[in-house]
Amino acid sequence: MSTPNAPTAICPFSGAAVPAAEAAEAPQVAPAATNGAGVAAPVADWVTIPDLYTNPFPIYQRMRSESPVHWVPAVNRYMVTSYAACHEIEQDEARFSADEKNSLMKRSMGHSMLRKDNPEHQVDRDSYGATLRPGTIKKHWNEIFAANHEKYLGELLAKGPGADFVWDYAAPYTAENLRLICGFHNSTQEDLQRWSQTLIDGTGNYADDPEIWAKAAVSSAEVDAAIDEMLPVLAKKPDHSLLSGLASMPIPLEAIRANLKMTIGGGLNEPRDVLATTVWALLKNPEQLEAVRNDPKLHAVAFEESVRWVAPIGMYPRETTQDGVLEGVHLAAGSRLGVVLGAANRDPKVFEDPEAFNIFRPKKPHLGFGGGVHFCAGTWIARAQVAQIAMPALFDRIPDLRLDPSAASVDAGWVFRGMTKMPVTWG
Amino acid sequence: MPTITFTQSTGEAAEITVEEGTSLMRAAVTNGIEGIVGECGGQAMCATCHIYVRPEFAGQLPEVSDDEDEMLDCTTAERTHASRLGCQIKMSGPLANIVVDVPSDQV
Repeated sequence: MSTPNAPTAICPFSGAAVPAAEAAEAPQVAPAATNGAGVAAPVADWVTIPDLYTNPFPIYQRMRSESPVHWVPAVNRYMVTSYAACHEIEQDEARFSADEKNSLMKRSMGHSMLRKDNPEHQVDRDSYGATLRPGTIKKHWNEIFAANHEKYLGELLAKGPGADFVWDYAAPYTAENLRLICGFHNSTQEDLQRWSQTLIDGTGNYADDPEIWAKAAVSSAEVDAAIDEMLPVLAKKPDHSLLSGLASMPIPLEAIRANLKMTIGGGLNEPRDVLATTVWALLKNPEQLEAVRNDPKLHAVAFEESVRWVAPIGMYPRETTQDGVLEGVHLAAGSRLGVVLGAANRDPKVFEDPEAFNIFRPKKPHLGFGGGVHFCAGTWIARAQVAQIAMPALFDRIPDLRLDPSAASVDAGWVFRGMTKMPVTWG
Repeated sequence: MPTITFTQSTGEAAEITVEEGTSLMRAAVTNGIEGIVGECGGQAMCATCHIYVRPEFAGQLPEVSDDEDEMLDCTTAERTHASRLGCQIKMSGPLANIVVDVPSDQV
């Protein structure tokens, strides 16, 4: 979820990225190791949020080469950058809790499943039923995604060369898909885009800006009202949407509201960003694009390589439940961690030549969708709408699509990373 | 305690000893068995703990649920009549000393 105009904007999923004023209050040294159990994390006081926002990858290279875990004053938490350490966290929710204290995400969106541990998390997760699963996608959503794609690709074509791939196509396409997946038949894709961004901005409001809180509160109330209106409608006339399934379940309204807001946050920008990043990477690597054109099965490979190369969610938070050692580094109970998937996915101990986008690299599991019980619930929806529907149709309809040589594309962000500007041309 | 033998496509086999009730996926991930990823932690959501169960154990397995069935359609390696998700098979008496084959591709 890159936020184009806000270099210090924060992610609802990580709750990280403290603006400068707050960072100054952060402790400048990591807690010392105790009982000889592991070494203290080195302090990365050279890391700044503006540098991370512009291009985090050289920073991650240096961090990974020094230690798998650093204390980062600017972010006011430990950053975990090695593949092995991130993987260990994902597989052990008993030691690494998702239920972070003082979470701004909880304040902005309510207490969603993303900030719960099991068994509470599983109740919410199960309440999403089969809506996001491959069987429903195949039987129901793919046809809808194809129709939506036709509409928004048509709008891109109508706008003409120089149109922006993200804002004139990828964003409305993925927003409209999400609107129907959620079941907001009383709202528009523009509503979904506005809700998503303002709730994210609210969640990252470390500076306590009243205007940002006000906008988030307006969106939160609009989402609540839209849910309240749709639940009885969908109870009488069910469809395949999330709200339809939830209408007949004994789930508290408070949990429904929080989970839908989390889904609006995470279900829009991620497919939007991975679609744009994948196409950007292919347009910059013509020999790989040619291979994809000649073998449609490679759309899925390009999608996965893109998620590895630039994880759309680059970092998410965890909190330690006990004193312990992570990859040799001591962490006290209650330590706030950032699990930096964007760094783990470029760990040279796992991926050869990791900084390169290369669809021909040996296939290995990346951590881009997270892992363990919080494995992205929208993984298969993203694969379907981006790699199965959008990419093949896009390159078929605009075979000479290219980046606009007269206007530079911009990739930005670290907690969320994607294209914030991507003018394209054809013809 | 029961054992599980994971056989790789190279023919290399690893026998590990596990507690009753442990899933094949969890056993593999905990013991670093190559080729079993288990991304989703056992929710039948990712299809990266695909295994082929040897026929002599097939009759002892739990039924394939709808969730597992649709996910088996999403495996990277070919689905066969022996395909199962390791996360959906928990070790119990009749499965002691089970032997499974790990597919050549998991992602």
